[in-house]
Amino acid sequence: MKKAIGDNMIAKEWGFEKGLELVKQAGFDGIELWLGDVPWFQLSTADSAVRELRRKVEDAGLVVSNVSTGLHWASPLSSRDPKVRAQAVRIVEREIETAVLLGTDAILLVAGLVTEEVPYTEVYQRCLDALRPLGEKAARTGVRIGCENCNAEHRFLISPREFWQFLNDVASPAVGIHLDVGNIHDTGFAEQWIEIHGPRITRIHVKDVMKKRGRCGDQSVYTNLFLGDNNWPAIRAAMTKVGYDGWLVAEMEARYRYAPDQQFFDTARAMDRLISGRL
Amino acid sequence: MGITRRRFVGCVAAAATIGLPRDLWRSGAIPRWVLLDLKEACSLSESVSGYESALAAVGEPWIRSDAWSVIRCTGLIVPAALAIPLPAVRAIVTCLARGATVILESGAAFAGGPDFRAHRAVLRDCFQVRIEAPVQLWRARSSWRGVPYVDYTWPFPAKLRDFSRVVPLERQAGEIVAWVDDLPVALVRRSGRGTLVFLGSPVGPALWAGDGDARRWLCAVLGSGGQSPKFASRTSWMSGSRASSSSTPFTSG
Repeated sequence: MKKAIGDNMIAKEWGFEKGLELVKQAGFDGIELWLGDVPWFQLSTADSAVRELRRKVEDAGLVVSNVSTGLHWASPLSSRDPKVRAQAVRIVEREIETAVLLGTDAILLVAGLVTEEVPYTEVYQRCLDALRPLGEKAARTGVRIGCENCNAEHRFLISPREFWQFLNDVASPAVGIHLDVGNIHDTGFAEQWIEIHGPRITRIHVKDVMKKRGRCGDQSVYTNLFLGDNNWPAIRAAMTKVGYDGWLVAEMEARYRYAPDQQFFDTARAMDRLISGRL
Repeated sequence: MGITRRRFVGCVAAAATIGLPRDLWRSGAIPRWVLLDLKEACSLSESVSGYESALAAVGEPWIRSDAWSVIRCTGLIVPAALAIPLPAVRAIVTCLARGATVILESGAAFAGGPDFRAHRAVLRDCFQVRIEAPVQLWRARSSWRGVPYVDYTWPFPAKLRDFSRVVPLERQAGEIVAWVDDLPVALVRRSGRGTLVFLGSPVGPALWAGDGDARRWLCAVLGSGGQSPKFASRTSWMSGSRASSSSTPFTSG
């Protein structure tokens, strides 16, 4: 297994190059690039500039683990507005295009957003309709789409069985799950999700979660590895059981208040322990 | 006259089948309902899919058609119409004149200014349906009750999911048969020998998403198709308040 961390963890004032240097020093093998969430990687970033990002990553001794985006929170594939949906599709297409340019084979998307306004039944159908052709496009380029389990955050596909059925309905080998072991909260157990989805897992986001806290003001329910309620030995065992040997990508919502660079080192060390199984 | 009786009957029969797809004519399966797919002029393809799946489930003979080849039918469904091109206008008017029920669903709720103005002009000039600017129900939630349903009073009382935005109707001839709070959003009106059902809140997406109530509502409208809703003996109808409308409910035909 290899470990990566998102470039959205890099403080804006550090800049991309300095951030890459820190990521490498901390011991990561790769970096997850967040389309639209960082100044250096936007929808408007030209292909040539994307290639330049790849060059910088490789010069730093890293590789791009995958392309992710948070843009679908504002422009979901499940929107009722056809113009918003078209934008959402364009975001996925750009993720696929840039994944190819960056030399990686996986992208992340948030599949749909159930709200008071847009009900579950519509979101389900609309996501299927969007993902089937996108899956074909991804397959042609050798890229896999990982739909992230955002559980309580997007109120959609909350159980592993639902998610499994959804992927069955999409019926594309190029569409799988980008599993976030922290997002499951009180709705289940990460190790069971790993076991159920096995070969459909495109990448794994790692963070820990304080299950009984819930969101409270600006306090995050997430925390650093091994500080929360995830059963890490069980998660590691489930990875072994299903033969997952891909990327583990750190996605830390709660940031260090002081010495923020230290979080990169601590996270990398914790991931080493997770990979080694010495838990 | 220089025409035989046999030739006259032949010509009439041929005229009656103009536009009828050859395979249908051969099989003798004349569809009762026609689903008019406006293609680019339809703003929500999922609405077309919704009516398609509902019609298939109902089991009545139906056919999907483009505007150029609409055949004689009991009813015509026009999902999520936005631009309404001239051939479609002709088809709708012809169907109404022949006594069909036409379900005309507005797809303008998400349209930009110019598209909406063109849509409103066609509705006004060709069908005498007058609409107001779209209302974003959920953006105006502070002044809205927050219940996500459109209340239909015809063919039977039903609550169907709203679609975030509605195209409200102005006061005009016809009977208002659906409301979101005090906004009138659907109209039924005699037109020619037929019946026009105008929907300012699309039902197609709910059908597409498998909403059972939406399907039952459509079934009831289809059931009343061809035998227009009973308008009693009134010769004109004015949309009134919600209270007055609900006090004189329609019965299905």
